[in-house]
Amino acid sequence: MTRVAVSGAGVISPLGNDCASFFAALAEGRSGIGRIGSRFPERMGCRIGGAVAFDGSKIFPAAKLRMLDRVSQFALAACAEAVRDAGLDFKQVDVSRAGVSLGTGTGGAESTDEGYFTLYGQGSDRVKPFSVLMAMSNAAASWIGLDYGLTGPNLTYTTACSSSAVAIGEAARRIAAGDADVMIAGGAEASLNFGTLKAWEALKTLATEDPADPSASCKPFAKDRSGLVLGEGAAIVVLESFEHLEKRGGRARGELTGYGLTSDATHITRPSVEGQAAAMRRALESARIAPGEVDYINAHGTGTVANDGVETAAIKAVFGERAYSIPVSSTKSMHGHLLGAAGALEFVATLLALEKGFIPPTRHLRIRDPECDLDYVPERGRAAANARVGMSNSFAFGGTNAVLVVRT
Amino acid sequence: MTTFERLQGLLGKDFDIAPEKLQRDARLEDLEIDSLRMIEIIFSVEEAFGITVPAEQAELKSRLVTFGDLVDYIDSLVARKSGAP
Repeated sequence: MTRVAVSGAGVISPLGNDCASFFAALAEGRSGIGRIGSRFPERMGCRIGGAVAFDGSKIFPAAKLRMLDRVSQFALAACAEAVRDAGLDFKQVDVSRAGVSLGTGTGGAESTDEGYFTLYGQGSDRVKPFSVLMAMSNAAASWIGLDYGLTGPNLTYTTACSSSAVAIGEAARRIAAGDADVMIAGGAEASLNFGTLKAWEALKTLATEDPADPSASCKPFAKDRSGLVLGEGAAIVVLESFEHLEKRGGRARGELTGYGLTSDATHITRPSVEGQAAAMRRALESARIAPGEVDYINAHGTGTVANDGVETAAIKAVFGERAYSIPVSSTKSMHGHLLGAAGALEFVATLLALEKGFIPPTRHLRIRDPECDLDYVPERGRAAANARVGMSNSFAFGGTNAVLVVRT
Repeated sequence: MTTFERLQGLLGKDFDIAPEKLQRDARLEDLEIDSLRMIEIIFSVEEAFGITVPAEQAELKSRLVTFGDLVDYIDSLVARKSGAP
């Protein structure tokens, strides 16, 4: 089986727009969640989110910017960092064996929202000329392929909150199967618009704003957790076969060793211990490692009552007694839930934690829940110089569970 | 102001095309106006002139080769709207 290296990474996140600032914030335990703007602030029930400070006009020429939804802007910016980091020059690469695999939950949601506002809100009979091209779910992946001239597979996965973990796992499969040498993989999401936020409000799964400190509203695994906080951003990694990497003299930041994929098929929102546990087991099997070898778990840890209890039980089902001695943290406490980009961002967080030998904390976990009794690295991160193997969990509405294992 | 001048101004302002390049015989493809750019231009023209351009992409492509073709086409639509022959 072809081994798959992670040779580059890039992020656009509520905690900063490159890997270095993203991880610095995670290590400090700094939250990027706060009050967010809205077209109709007075009509918003939910006023918090993990918003990205980003100005596309500083990066893209005006004519191109008019064709790019915010989600594609994020993806291209994160991709630029990842490609730079990998030291890849696509002029030197067989681009017919290079592809793209992205995940997104809602694609160009901002353009969709904007279009509907124009039609229904303003009574206009027409929308912007490129509305279709901006809103289509595969736009971000297509732009990456176009910009770098990659003619291998160009794929977009949408499995809600596990979309980008699936995209990374499936990209590794493309390389392992011999379809490609290099895959740009990850995810992007930009759905903090009025319409999408209203839909989430209606589902009643969003966190109540912390009255004292809005940035502390997402409290994974805590007794007083009240729901998830939505975030936006993108995370991209460059995956390549070790053979390709060595031939071009690149360096591996890590190896994607395991990928587990299962579906609950029990309920459209309620997670299942069995489904989550099965995905973790399959990831361990594909990585050919024993549960005892895992040094860190970056949890899905949404901060919803349902997920965090179930995920805790699933980790115990897989790891047994050893579950209590593995640090498990939810970085969503700081960057929020990036939905279709969450899996990729947290995969990068896991990789960086191993590289730096430092486990980021689960912030805002002050009141323990007896149902959640693992070591969640509450409030303060900690050094873990010998940590080599990390697991990143992503579980989704709809029931698609994806787990990635990375080794440094 | 003539339609020619108004289009020169609009393409200069919104699409960054130098007015001196916008001569009647200038070919649209030499001005880097591809099919998608043309859709954007038509959108702006519809707003600026208060007209509706009925042609779809295929017809626009065959009908409009030069900047002069675009000027004449818009002129004809403006005339139709104002009821002139």
